[in-house]
Amino acid sequence: MTYFEHLPFLENIPAYALGALDARDAAALEAHLQTCTSCRDELVAYRTTSDKLLVSFPPQEPSAALRKQIQRRLPSAQKPARPRWNWSLSRVAVAIAIVLLLVLNVVSLSQVRALQDQQAQLLDQIQNGQMALVMLSYPHTQSFPIQANDLTGSFLIDTEYNNAVLILRGLPAIPEHQTYQVWLIAPNGERTSGGLVRPQTDVPFLSQPVSATQDLANFVGVGMTIEPAGGSDQPTGSQVFRINF
Amino acid sequence: MTEIDDVQFIKRVTQGDEGAFLALYDCYVSRVYALTLRILVDPMLAEEATQDTFLKLWSRAHLYLPERGSLLVWLLSIARRTALDRLRLEGRRPTLSDAHDPAEAWQTIPDSNSVSEESYWRSLNFAVQALSPEYRQLIELAYYQGMSQSEIAEVLGWPLGTVKTRLRAAMERLRQAWGPK
Repeated sequence: MTYFEHLPFLENIPAYALGALDARDAAALEAHLQTCTSCRDELVAYRTTSDKLLVSFPPQEPSAALRKQIQRRLPSAQKPARPRWNWSLSRVAVAIAIVLLLVLNVVSLSQVRALQDQQAQLLDQIQNGQMALVMLSYPHTQSFPIQANDLTGSFLIDTEYNNAVLILRGLPAIPEHQTYQVWLIAPNGERTSGGLVRPQTDVPFLSQPVSATQDLANFVGVGMTIEPAGGSDQPTGSQVFRINF
Repeated sequence: MTEIDDVQFIKRVTQGDEGAFLALYDCYVSRVYALTLRILVDPMLAEEATQDTFLKLWSRAHLYLPERGSLLVWLLSIARRTALDRLRLEGRRPTLSDAHDPAEAWQTIPDSNSVSEESYWRSLNFAVQALSPEYRQLIELAYYQGMSQSEIAEVLGWPLGTVKTRLRAAMERLRQAWGPK
């Protein structure tokens, strides 16, 4: 860029340093300053001059009250806003109450479900007990005693109506990951599952029907083993009892 | 207060140190107030602009960059803009009489043998008052009244080209008089 091309910008720099350049000229000069080092240097020199205009007269003291007035307006000097403890506490209290209600609801719900489960189990026990009583009244029902350590009971079987009920007392509790499994024993020694049994902690005995896909008359014995939860296809665990018909 | 002190104090102000803020106030308030009074003339308005300037210092101290210039110039630039904003808000037109009598300025010029910073800055006033009345009036309207060249041309009834030429000449005189310091 030649000197004559610079000239319009150079001429505007003093007014720009004073902040007196009209907006359009100021915009054009600012664009030019982006790329022109010599004009930027010129502006720095005139800015130094205009800066001196800021202090080119004697200092003067304002009123003494101004200092205190400014001090009072500093954020640190202003009284902090009153903490809204009442509001906060009430919110916290409401939140706690809601949480407590939710917890109580969950606890109540689980208790209701536990009671329902217990009720269903008791109903099963009653029905099983009734079934055992009915079977005892049948002339063809056979009863086989069970005795193994502290475990006692009976196995009732009616081959005519193909019904069987296992009655046990003193069956020990076992961990959640295990279950008792009833096996019906065929003459050739083959085992067929007769169902899973889990002792009730609050009931001293249990009576449970034993089911089979085949005719019960085909079996010659019944036994029980401890198996993994969910049961097994064939006995794998320790034997609890075994009786032969 | 030295520039090193300025940097340290401004850092403390950014951390909310009220004591450092008041130290800066005590150091620079007479300069700030003198400038706002120069622009606004009314002492009450000048004090309000001074207050606004220092409250801006409190809230914007983190924006000060020492490498860009002294704290005093930065603070006075804020004071000038604040006072000019107030001037526009008030809608006041500038007085065209020469309110700053050169004779009065002579009384404030310190002994030329004095080498203090204060005497240096006061000596600047001499160069301003040594300008011709026309040049001085242009500087007054442009810098202390915040008027653009077009507005000055309208107020004075001069051609715009004349305003531009004379304003440039006035600045050149001051630049030569004040030298590179």
